Amino acid sequence: MRVLFPIDSARRTDIDAVSADDRYDAVIVGTGISGAIIANELSRAGKRVLVLEAGTGTDRTLSGYEKYLSNFYGASSKDNQSPYPANPNAAMPRSPLLRKLQPGETDSSTYMVQSGPYVTDTTFTRVFGGTTMHWEAKTPRMLPEDFKMRSLFGQGLDWPLGYDELEADYRTAEREIGVSANVEDQAYLGLHFPKDYVFPMKGLPLSYLDKQVARGIDDTRVELCGKSYPIKIRPYPQGRNSIPNPAYDGGKGYVPVGAVNTHQVEEGERCQGNTNCVPLCPVQAKYHSGKTLAKALHTGRVDLLVQAVVSKVVTDPGNGNVTALEVKVYREPQSAEHRTITVKGTIFVIAANAIETPRLMLASGLRDSAGLMGRNLMDHAYLLNWGLMPEVCGTMRGTSCTGGIIDLRAGGFRRHQAAFSVDIHNDGWGWATGAPFSDLTELVDQQNRFGAELRRGLIDRISRQLLLAFMIEVPPTESNRVTVDPQYTDQLGNMRPVVSFTVPEYSMRGAAYAREFSKTVFARLGVADHTRYDPGDYGYVTYEGQGYAIRGGNHIAGTHIMGTDKSNSVVDTDQRSWDHANLYLVGAGSMPTIGTANVTLTLAALCYRSARAMLKQLH
Amino acid sequence: MPSSKITTLSELKDYLYLAMQLEHATLPAYLTALYSIKPGTNTDAVHILRVVAVEEMLHLSIAANLLNAIGGTPDLAHPGFVPSYPTYLPDGETDFKVGITRFGKEAVETFKKIERPSKGDGRLVRRSYAPGTSVLGRHPKSDEMHFYSIGDFYKAIEDGFELLEAEAQGLGKTIFIGDPKRQVTSEYYYSGGGALFAVTDLESAKRAITLVMTQGEGTPTSIYDNDGELSHFYRFDQLTHGRYYQKGDEPHHPTGPALSVDWEASYPIEANVKLADFPAGTELYDAAQSFNQAYAKFLKAITRAFNGKPELLLTAVPLMFDFRNLITELVRNPLPGSAGRNAAPTFEIDAVTAAESLAAARQEVVA
Repeated sequence: MRVLFPIDSARRTDIDAVSADDRYDAVIVGTGISGAIIANELSRAGKRVLVLEAGTGTDRTLSGYEKYLSNFYGASSKDNQSPYPANPNAAMPRSPLLRKLQPGETDSSTYMVQSGPYVTDTTFTRVFGGTTMHWEAKTPRMLPEDFKMRSLFGQGLDWPLGYDELEADYRTAEREIGVSANVEDQAYLGLHFPKDYVFPMKGLPLSYLDKQVARGIDDTRVELCGKSYPIKIRPYPQGRNSIPNPAYDGGKGYVPVGAVNTHQVEEGERCQGNTNCVPLCPVQAKYHSGKTLAKALHTGRVDLLVQAVVSKVVTDPGNGNVTALEVKVYREPQSAEHRTITVKGTIFVIAANAIETPRLMLASGLRDSAGLMGRNLMDHAYLLNWGLMPEVCGTMRGTSCTGGIIDLRAGGFRRHQAAFSVDIHNDGWGWATGAPFSDLTELVDQQNRFGAELRRGLIDRISRQLLLAFMIEVPPTESNRVTVDPQYTDQLGNMRPVVSFTVPEYSMRGAAYAREFSKTVFARLGVADHTRYDPGDYGYVTYEGQGYAIRGGNHIAGTHIMGTDKSNSVVDTDQRSWDHANLYLVGAGSMPTIGTANVTLTLAALCYRSARAMLKQLH
Repeated sequence: MPSSKITTLSELKDYLYLAMQLEHATLPAYLTALYSIKPGTNTDAVHILRVVAVEEMLHLSIAANLLNAIGGTPDLAHPGFVPSYPTYLPDGETDFKVGITRFGKEAVETFKKIERPSKGDGRLVRRSYAPGTSVLGRHPKSDEMHFYSIGDFYKAIEDGFELLEAEAQGLGKTIFIGDPKRQVTSEYYYSGGGALFAVTDLESAKRAITLVMTQGEGTPTSIYDNDGELSHFYRFDQLTHGRYYQKGDEPHHPTGPALSVDWEASYPIEANVKLADFPAGTELYDAAQSFNQAYAKFLKAITRAFNGKPELLLTAVPLMFDFRNLITELVRNPLPGSAGRNAAPTFEIDAVTAAESLAAARQEVVA
């Protein structure tokens, strides 16, 4: 399907007109998937919407997107933010800048102040399109039992919603993102779908590497807490285009959305198996929120103001309602020169992310009845395990991740330790060691290889790489939090986020088991284990005498959790603030737990629910 | 004087074979121009060329579906299927040849001629060529008769389908006797615009022909095709004008966003080079030969796909990625004795096929 950005949308919105306008039905902060979905839902229902984006992004042409790609190709560090030029007015965390903390130390040298003890390399992206501009686009649903962690396992919190209440919105989100998966692969551990449901597009095939791993471990078993679990390699659902399923929507089929641009372009309607899904798909076969925003902009009822950093949420001291947002609109990224304006609307939606949203709320000094704003910060804790397969397995081919092991996402063991899912990385050891670039350096510098011998060495080395990434659940913990501190501000004078985090023991028990699990799997596959956790690593955590390098997952959640009343939560089941009746805080921050599901699909589903509530409130 | 009317099923099959040949013949020219562009430059042109090439593959598949629908046998590995470049394509008063050349103003002008809109009536024109000249789009019954545009050629095919099916229906029969399992659908090949669908009756046959015609040339009243997609001619025309078309634009007056073309930013390849121009025993010679072998393999794979194994089209995609690598090796290296011009793919496929069958025959003798 061709979705074009209206040519006018590429021009700068007039700041004076925006600040003088008091007839917006909704003002949305953020152009990530949450803001995009809500802007699209509200504008299609006839509402006037203003969307504010802190990052740059007037350039919505294909060449603008390709500029990001060439930045990435040319970057020496291939981290998630490498396509995006540094912007001190809307800064973002970058993993290569991190360092290990001494006990009691706080590191304020990077945008996100790390107050420890654990240093998280989790990131979010502050450009037009938000974190969908670097996400991997894996889209599993949360399991039904994930919503009832407290009552079933005595861990974490229960959601005020259940799987069945979210199921229809999951389907809507799967349509919008364009999920490729087969129901028969995804109906496991209690996940259920309506009779005759099919995903918009057929599942992406398992990679050759997946199949080689499957050959060695499918239908073997592992022991955990006295119970035996069968394991197998299973495909993941993906937010990237594959073959449309003709049976979708009662036989109406599905038309994939390819690359978006201001002029007609035809590409990206199918994943081509390029392996640099993260940060950017070269052909835009991977969903990003620009695809949804383009549709919203076409309604003609959406104004978009970029380089607009919200600095304060202003409320009526009497009833607590939000009256305006104070916004600093900067002229260019490198200069602090800006204009401060206020924008008004009937309802306000903060769709920044689970770190920026509470940061803004805390910086605004607003009422916080439950005292939970910024608390219960969650992410997935990743433990990487890597080794060499006995034979060449075609590593570096295919989408970043096509398959993995989900059999330990659920089970009675969750009373005792964290669940996890396991990703097989088709891009080899990249995440753990910087492969394939690090392999090249090593073969040239340390082994003095060149010519044909170097080429052979690279093939032998890289195409046998196996990396298992364990995505371990992290329960909500009030002391894991985002705060602000007036001594840490950015170029515009906005307070920066300060993160305090300890990987909970519950998760570390899962990590320790994951390490043993991976040794078992490696043994069954004949894999030579090369895993090594460096005590100097910024994410190094010791547990029961063993050290592990724990990575962040960029699945930031839980800082304004939803609940049943204003004493136990920040927002209600519609993500509406208990304290401010015309304010919605949307995104993964509303999630009380995240189980072992990448958060985007669930937060997208929640946004459809919220959009309905907003429309009801506006009527 | 031969007419452009198709009156027998065998003629219709001949026309459809020619249609496949025609659709394919543009591909080497588009691919070479595309991969001659220096990396990081001419991104607008890269997108335009890529989309057109992808859609020529779609048209090729549609022609195969049409041929399969009436019980024909597509064969892209048949000797002579790939022309010797430069080659003539259908043309009117001023003829032109399609060659294997670098991206540039001249190439784009040729591409626009390939895709140019029909003049309407009087679509068959008489022209004579030197003996032995490679000519496509000729009338199957007469070497001297040619269609003005690719669209005109397809119109004759459409008329043939209508006439022959009406005749067959009159006898209580149908010409659509092909095995539906041989049809290639969008499950196996897709392009930006225009879905690939099975041809099983007159309605789907006409729909398929319309798609090919309008995707190349636009509709009689619009520069866009029936799917709202800009036709090939006007896609190329955007490069000439340095500006994109948008909805509502008149031909030759695009008003969309500006684009930039660096006409010099392509490798200076020798035009229409042949393997004989390469010094034997050099790496460059081997690279040229490897490309032809890979291309022959690709044609064999899609022939099998069009002969009851449509899923094999999926495996043709990685082969096309190989073309990029193989062509890149050629176009970046100077061709000895060519006054500083670079090497290029030669697309001499018959030679590969002949050598391979000879080798196979020898193997049999040995066995």
